[in-house]
Amino acid sequence: MTLPRHDLFDDVAVRLDGVSLRYDTSEDILSGIDLVLKPGSFSFLTGASGAGKTSLLKLLYLALKPTRGEVSLFGRPTSRLTRDQLSALRRRVGVVFQEFRLLDHLTAYENVALPLRVLGRKEASYRHDVEELLAWVGLGERMHSRPPTLSGGEQQRVAIARAVVTQPDILIADEPTGNVDPEMGARLMRLFLELNKRRATTVIIATHDLGLVRQVDAPVFRLQHGLLVQDVEYGPAARRRTDIVKTVD
Amino acid sequence: MAKETPLLPVEDAREMALFFVVGALCFLAALATLSAKSTYGAARSWTAEVEGELTVSLPDADRRGAEEARQLIEATEGVREARLLSKQEIDALLEPNFGSRGLPESLPLPQLIAVTAEPDTQFMGPTLERRLTEAGYAHAVDEHADWAGDVRRMLAIARLVALTAVALLASTAVAVIAFATHAALLARRDIVDVLHLAGARDRYIAGLFERRFWLLGLRAGAVGALLALGAAAAMIFGVHSSGARSGLLPVLSLDIVDLLILVLTPVIAGLAARIAARVTVIRSLKSVM
Repeated sequence: MTLPRHDLFDDVAVRLDGVSLRYDTSEDILSGIDLVLKPGSFSFLTGASGAGKTSLLKLLYLALKPTRGEVSLFGRPTSRLTRDQLSALRRRVGVVFQEFRLLDHLTAYENVALPLRVLGRKEASYRHDVEELLAWVGLGERMHSRPPTLSGGEQQRVAIARAVVTQPDILIADEPTGNVDPEMGARLMRLFLELNKRRATTVIIATHDLGLVRQVDAPVFRLQHGLLVQDVEYGPAARRRTDIVKTVD
Repeated sequence: MAKETPLLPVEDAREMALFFVVGALCFLAALATLSAKSTYGAARSWTAEVEGELTVSLPDADRRGAEEARQLIEATEGVREARLLSKQEIDALLEPNFGSRGLPESLPLPQLIAVTAEPDTQFMGPTLERRLTEAGYAHAVDEHADWAGDVRRMLAIARLVALTAVALLASTAVAVIAFATHAALLARRDIVDVLHLAGARDRYIAGLFERRFWLLGLRAGAVGALLALGAAAAMIFGVHSSGARSGLLPVLSLDIVDLLILVLTPVIAGLAARIAARVTVIRSLKSVM
């Protein structure tokens, strides 16, 4: 079932209401999280290792069900949707996994084209777009290589290209620049910003890289002890505050 | 652009092992089915033959008296044929007990009349007994149907055993395929997860496994059926070339039903594999969001 596109213009792209997550019988990894991401927003998610960033992202890209609370995408509470409706929602979400999750038996080109293939598109209809995207991330010459023969950085760029190839309404990226050099990292950030500005794609990036966070004037959420707090320590706004302090000094 | 790579990787060692197991199970199942069918056919022909036959023994009659008795029997309603057995035929019947040299002429032997009843005529024995008694013949009537019941019961057990073997082999094949599909799914969990998160519906993912296992079952079943055909042909050739008489053994041959069984074997194996794959994948996917 295809959800109507006008959902994109709902007030809220992502909404978490009192969401908690617990694996087996352990303590809550996430506890009573409330979060609202508006369509076209750009945000960062930070936190120490093991703070639950990846778990929170899994809830957002509908890989996990919360133990308590409700996750809504495009104004639809996901707990009430059928499996086909959930699949339709997932098609509007692009994900860059921390561990890439590329299929080793497919070429870079085929990995990037995978979401389009799942949609039932004919190869001729997307070939040009996929080739162009691969060229843009610097893999035009390596599009017929398989992931095991690519470096970590190259694999990461394939994973990013796969996440954005459908021009999703929401882009979720888990440490998307962790394996690339600063120059390529900046280039990939420009890609995310372009998507965010031109297509009003809602972008949320989980990262440890504070340098990356400081490049963009965007809200920063920090996970700490299972709780989500909005961080005011980073970003251009924080830099402006620092500048003011320096001026006063 | 080259042809698209299948989303599931091409067959690996695990699938070769599964191919071998399914092929072997299909071979055994096809052979057991052919045996069950052959036993069933033999049972039918034996019992039909035996139930319509009687032997009348005349201990005191000479050849002429026996011929008159034969005519009397043949004139009885429900009798298709009555044939007086020759001395050579009686010697042949007694050969297993007294050897091939023949019996002394002085040894008194009863005259034997082989009676064949009309089809669908049952229990001729009492009628013949009455007529022969009225005509004053000392006689004994041996109705073969008396011991045909034992043969029937024995063959029914043999059929049941063969059908149980077929059912067990078929269900084992399905269980093995289901187990292997589950293992294949676990081994390819990464692919399933990526497809799932890319928005593939459950039936799309299940369809990939269904196609893969349908083809595997079909191919393995075809190999098993061909081997069963070879084994059956070898058995038939062996029996025929050894000159075995078909008096007691069932007539061994391959008819259209046997060929149909062999053609259906791979189709059933493929369908079993396909259904097992679908059920396993859908059930497994339902355990995740």
